[in-house]
Amino acid sequence: MSWASAPEPEDGYAGYYGYGEYDMSHTGDPRQDMEYERHYAGHSYIVPEVIKNFLVYFQKVINQRDLLEIQNSYENGFNKLTDRFFKNTAWPEAEVVAPIVGNDKRFLILYKELYYRHVYARLQGGPSLSQRFDSYFNYCDLFNYILNADGPVPLELPDQWLWDIVDEFIYQFQSFSIFRHKSPSKKTEDEIELLKVNPKMWNVHSVLNVLHSLVDKSNINKQLEVYTSGGDPDSVAGEFGQHSLYKMLGYFSLVGLLRLHSLLGDYYQALKALENIDFNKKSLYSRVPACQITTFYFVGFAYMMMRRYQDAIRTLSNILLYIQRTKTMFQNKTQLYDQISKTNDQMYTLLSMCLVLYPMRIDESVHSHLREKYQDKMNKMQRGDMAEFETCFAFACPKFLSPVPPNYELENTAKSKEPFTLQLHVFKVEVAQQIQVPTIRSYLKLYTTLPIAKLAAFMDMSDDELCTQLMCFKHKMKNLVWTKGTSGLDGEFQSASEVDFFIDKDMIHIADTKVARRYGDFFIRQFHKFDEIMRSLKTT
Amino acid sequence: MAEAMRATVASLLKGIERYNPENLVNLQRYVDMQANENTYDLEANLAVLKLYQFNPNLYQAEVTAVILLKALTNLPHSDFILCKCMIEPGRLLEEPVAKVLVLAELLETANFNEFWITLMKDLDPLVEGIVGFEDSIRKFVCHVVASTYSTIRKDKLRQLLGNVTEAQASQWVSKYGWTEQLDGYVFIANQDETIRTKNITEKISFDSVAAIMASGR
Repeated sequence: MSWASAPEPEDGYAGYYGYGEYDMSHTGDPRQDMEYERHYAGHSYIVPEVIKNFLVYFQKVINQRDLLEIQNSYENGFNKLTDRFFKNTAWPEAEVVAPIVGNDKRFLILYKELYYRHVYARLQGGPSLSQRFDSYFNYCDLFNYILNADGPVPLELPDQWLWDIVDEFIYQFQSFSIFRHKSPSKKTEDEIELLKVNPKMWNVHSVLNVLHSLVDKSNINKQLEVYTSGGDPDSVAGEFGQHSLYKMLGYFSLVGLLRLHSLLGDYYQALKALENIDFNKKSLYSRVPACQITTFYFVGFAYMMMRRYQDAIRTLSNILLYIQRTKTMFQNKTQLYDQISKTNDQMYTLLSMCLVLYPMRIDESVHSHLREKYQDKMNKMQRGDMAEFETCFAFACPKFLSPVPPNYELENTAKSKEPFTLQLHVFKVEVAQQIQVPTIRSYLKLYTTLPIAKLAAFMDMSDDELCTQLMCFKHKMKNLVWTKGTSGLDGEFQSASEVDFFIDKDMIHIADTKVARRYGDFFIRQFHKFDEIMRSLKTT
Repeated sequence: MAEAMRATVASLLKGIERYNPENLVNLQRYVDMQANENTYDLEANLAVLKLYQFNPNLYQAEVTAVILLKALTNLPHSDFILCKCMIEPGRLLEEPVAKVLVLAELLETANFNEFWITLMKDLDPLVEGIVGFEDSIRKFVCHVVASTYSTIRKDKLRQLLGNVTEAQASQWVSKYGWTEQLDGYVFIANQDETIRTKNITEKISFDSVAAIMASGR
């Protein structure tokens, strides 16, 4: 595979990736120089006792494969120490930490993963270009270690960490692509030079290669197939796939592919990556909330772009309900909570757009929240306000990427925004084609039969034009809807439009759907809640 | 021939092979085959567009136009949108892709009369090269007509199908099991069955209250 930069074993990679080709001495760029100084000053940096103890303990539990303690150190220990010592600075460099942990290569790779993640998240100005490259090498090391071993590696990590690794890997790729496309005036000459001589760094093929390798190694697709048909996934998992590390990495890589393909505008491949996952079953991913939320967000978005509004609405309502019910769990994890709040708002915006284009019944609690916060926006969109559609789309859409490097010389801000403008354009064209539909619908709601000529007069168009509009209405409202099977791509054409009609000669016959208020569900839920409270009171 | 290729192509699209630009030659040939033999393979065509996205220097406007036209033959599926999302905006303004976009807009807004007029006006050699293109579009027209009308004037139907002859129109009518009435109307179906005012009242199943009743003992 000469055309894809596959991660290579450690001794070969130095030359392959051109690691030795750039050096970190004084470059004239203040950020890089500061780093250089810290790199050398770091050797004299005294690591506080409490940090030393933590690192040694962390290393011990990882080597002992004590999953519970690893999770504790990962979620609580590391974050508490970050808040106390490294709120806005980086943790000690790996070189400084190395002697403390006896130069344990594996631990240092994991440590660096956390180190760079922290740099991306908390450091002012974000990572420098050389830090981006270093982080990339570290990921190569990590995935080499996991993938190129003869047998499954003796490592166990909590699911949350595994998800965070895949999530962060794609996030850093995203960040790099956006950085790469920034205008030349925002980059230094050295940076531009470095970018030009290292085209394989954070190359889209490498990222795809990693994700596909993790998927293949774990046989996750076969495992999921067998799991959905009620069989034992271990029977097809193969040597590596039986281990939780590989299985979960494989699973999370599928979600990673969903995300990556969506960022590149390939919604078909995005949904295809998840074709063996049945969303209506409570399965593997439920344990990591961030993974579930990411999955549903991208699935909902893909469905919306494919004009499968009913599926989009159903997907988004499900996850929004889930977030509503589990919000209390995230209160104490602020970073996670912020992330989820933002995605929550984005999904509500997407849902409001879909409901304007395709009104249908949804869950009461989701609907009432929409009415509270988004009614204004929805009214504007219903009246055909294109600008409102644009604003909503711009807020709710993911940060689209271009897979190819730009021309570094040219100052071309339009080109850097191109991925976004393309997706926005496709969406706008689709909306413009349907712009008359809400108005027609509001007229149809008022009648049971209506002559074509009369409606044409209301709409201020000729009879023929109206017939075209009515056919367009029918075409747009007949969505492909998922009914069975695991693949999200399957479906049958259905029309669940609130208002439906047909034309008999020159008369329009209208069928309205009247929905009675649902009380039963609400009361039943309250009964169960009280029951639980009573039960817990009795036992205390 | 295209059918035989389908299996070979499927293996080219597995996993990481999908992104190998060396496959482009075969995949482009496969697109041509689809056009000549009236077959359709969405995944293979999307793979071609993806390879163009990753390797913009290998982009070919002609192949893209054929892919887009084939996507139109699969209406009402939204294949066309999926394809458009992977083409660089600049390319969308070039011919012959721009012309295909115009045709697509007319079809998506059910503006069938305009569509046939535009098609006849510049009968592109590209469109001519796609076997069965017009018939696929007519299939789509009938699909939309069938869901919209219960009875439609025969001459209107003829117009929507592209000003076909009486005989051809009758062929389409019988193909879908519609009946020609004596008053010049074509009867499609009794839509009353499917499109009826619905009153959705709440149904509370026994299962959901069973748990409550059990705990209320």
